[in-house]
Amino acid sequence: MSNDILFLAEFAAGTPARSALELATGAAELASQSGGSAIGLAYGAGASDGAAALGAQGAARAIVLGNEDRPAITYAPALVAATRDAGLALLAPATPNGRDLAAAVVGSLHVPAFGPVRAVRIADGVVESEQATLQGSVVTTSRPADGAPSPSVVLVLANTFTPTDGGTGSAEVSAAPAAEESALTQATVAESHEAEAKVVNLEEATIIVAGGRGVASEEGFAPLRELAGVLGGAVGASRAAADAGWIPYQLQIGQTGKVVKPALYIGAGISGAIQHRVGMQTAEHVVAINKDPDAPIGEFADLFVVGDLFQIIPALTEEIRRRKGA
Amino acid sequence: MKIVVCIKQVPATGADKRYTDDLTLDRTSVDAIINPLDEYAIEQALRLADAGIADSVTYLSMGPDQAAEALRRALAMGGDDAVLITDAALAGADEWATAKVLAAALDKLAPDVALMGMASDDARGSLVPGAVAAMRNVPLLSYGSELAIEGDAARVRRLSATGFDWITAPLPVVATVTDQVGEPRYASLKGIMAAKRKPLETWGLADIGLSADELKGAALTVVTDARPPEEKAPTERIENLPAAEAATKIADWLAARKLI
Ligand SMILES: Cc1cc2nc3c(=O)[nH]c(=O)nc-3n(C[C@H](O)[C@H](O)[C@H](O)COP(=O)(O)OP(=O)(O)OC[C@H]3O[C@@H](n4cnc5c(N)ncnc54)[C@H](O)[C@@H]3O)c2cc1C
Ligand SMILES: Nc1ncnc2c1ncn2[C@@H]1O[C@H](COP(=O)(O)O)[C@@H](O)[C@H]1O
Repeated sequence: MSNDILFLAEFAAGTPARSALELATGAAELASQSGGSAIGLAYGAGASDGAAALGAQGAARAIVLGNEDRPAITYAPALVAATRDAGLALLAPATPNGRDLAAAVVGSLHVPAFGPVRAVRIADGVVESEQATLQGSVVTTSRPADGAPSPSVVLVLANTFTPTDGGTGSAEVSAAPAAEESALTQATVAESHEAEAKVVNLEEATIIVAGGRGVASEEGFAPLRELAGVLGGAVGASRAAADAGWIPYQLQIGQTGKVVKPALYIGAGISGAIQHRVGMQTAEHVVAINKDPDAPIGEFADLFVVGDLFQIIPALTEEIRRRKGA
Repeated sequence: MKIVVCIKQVPATGADKRYTDDLTLDRTSVDAIINPLDEYAIEQALRLADAGIADSVTYLSMGPDQAAEALRRALAMGGDDAVLITDAALAGADEWATAKVLAAALDKLAPDVALMGMASDDARGSLVPGAVAAMRNVPLLSYGSELAIEGDAARVRRLSATGFDWITAPLPVVATVTDQVGEPRYASLKGIMAAKRKPLETWGLADIGLSADELKGAALTVVTDARPPEEKAPTERIENLPAAEAATKIADWLAARKLI
């Protein structure tokens, strides 16, 4: 067994997902602690063209699992073949695709799984991770049990690592070892439906302005979009707003939506239900705007503004514009 | 077409939970419920039964004796029978061990669709379904906002980055569904009465052909520390100010933190 740190790198149209860059950075950091190398496991459309560039974030090698645009889970057998007896840890993004692939490795190789973690390090030669469990009410530290096989599979939340950029390194690219036959390859896309409007990947946003039932309508999101615009951020939502059809489900934050970890989260007209909170509580700064002085979000926001979002948000947008212009 | 729905009993959402001295969850201290996300899997299975597409719906849970209550509650919503896997060797099971036990039980029950929730409330790893699929060597159809059956194949409607896809695979499959399948039904009084007479079997490890040895202490992971989250600085409040003044204060606050 080696001390290498593997990471999953998802590609679309030759471009790595932001999670791939974050995990490359994290893997390089852990590899420097373990005395091994960071190795990317690249899959998706254009993976072989883009894999070498993972070297910019510190990956020494990249193994290409496949180049097609097909359901992520179908890459599981190739991933398992590349992961078997290889390294100390496999970092996977805590996204639906990342979780499915991580789970297939756990079920195939009978290795320990952790996460979603908010911190991970190498201690005494093993992977030690920290996670918030039970809806954030408990923080635990865990390790592999004595004698558990490697690699440890670690699900990592978005924005846990900040991608280093500007590096000139190039990863040495190779093909994945032959995979065993598996029924996991049998899932196929039967139909694909595109949304009318383009949706951003909320996990990649460093500033999020989220709206809830208090936004009251589809048009109600316009001032939130303007604020997000001047802040250079993205718009998100509670399930209540997505269920009402005011905003696409891709922008829902929470237990059954995206788990986000931006530098700044501004929630407007959102009460702060536990299922919403678990999706945003790791934001570095939380600002809430709510007309109810007793809204639960006021108990865990860093800054709680009591007032009508339709007055506060346009005034705030104006003020920030004024300062930026000056 | 036979469906087995895997349900987990978890501490009630929002309840005050704590860990015991041996760093496992103190399950005696709080109310237990069906994992809320598993109720959507139950609802999806019962809709397929109502439509005459599923011939039978069985519930499967691994947990302590009390988890039988969760199975009875599920049976009150509908469905035919239930199996509880319980064994002293399973205390503190992690996701790997849970998957191993469920996979062995599913091998015995041999459903066309093993249906699960998208995540359990207490761990939120969403790893059990994929691990079960890999162990049983059947396709995984995950995160469906709807599950449909067409001949010898199952398909799920799943959000994509830009819209949604229908993803399909031949039966048998492991499938998971989200809270978008529709609100779970309530158990009627009649349902609660009927549930008392529905078969509920209890199996030990030997019944599914596993030994305590193979389960390696029921976990490949160990928790070395459990603590409350760090205290956050107290919330600052801005109230009773005209919008323009509130905006200035918010902007100052953001600027002080280099966010603008
Ligand atoms: C299994 C399950 C999973 C779930 N998953 C999620 C999830 O992933 N994400 C999620 O968000 N929810 C989720 N929920 C739903 C969650 O429980 C709450 O119902 C939801 O988050 C409430 O959304 P909200 O805060 O927008 O609405 P509400 O709770 O109705 O709050 C609206 C708030 O807006 C304020 N308001 C109204 N008008 C104004 C105004 N003009 N200016 C300022 N404030 C105003 C009100 O004071 C109120 O506090 C889930 C629920 C379940 C059971
Ligand atoms: N102990 C258990 N018994 C039955 N089903 C379970 C158990 N643990 C997990 N599951 C199923 O696996 C899903 C995902 O759980 P998890 O991987 O823990 O997030 C749950 O929604 C359940 O459907």
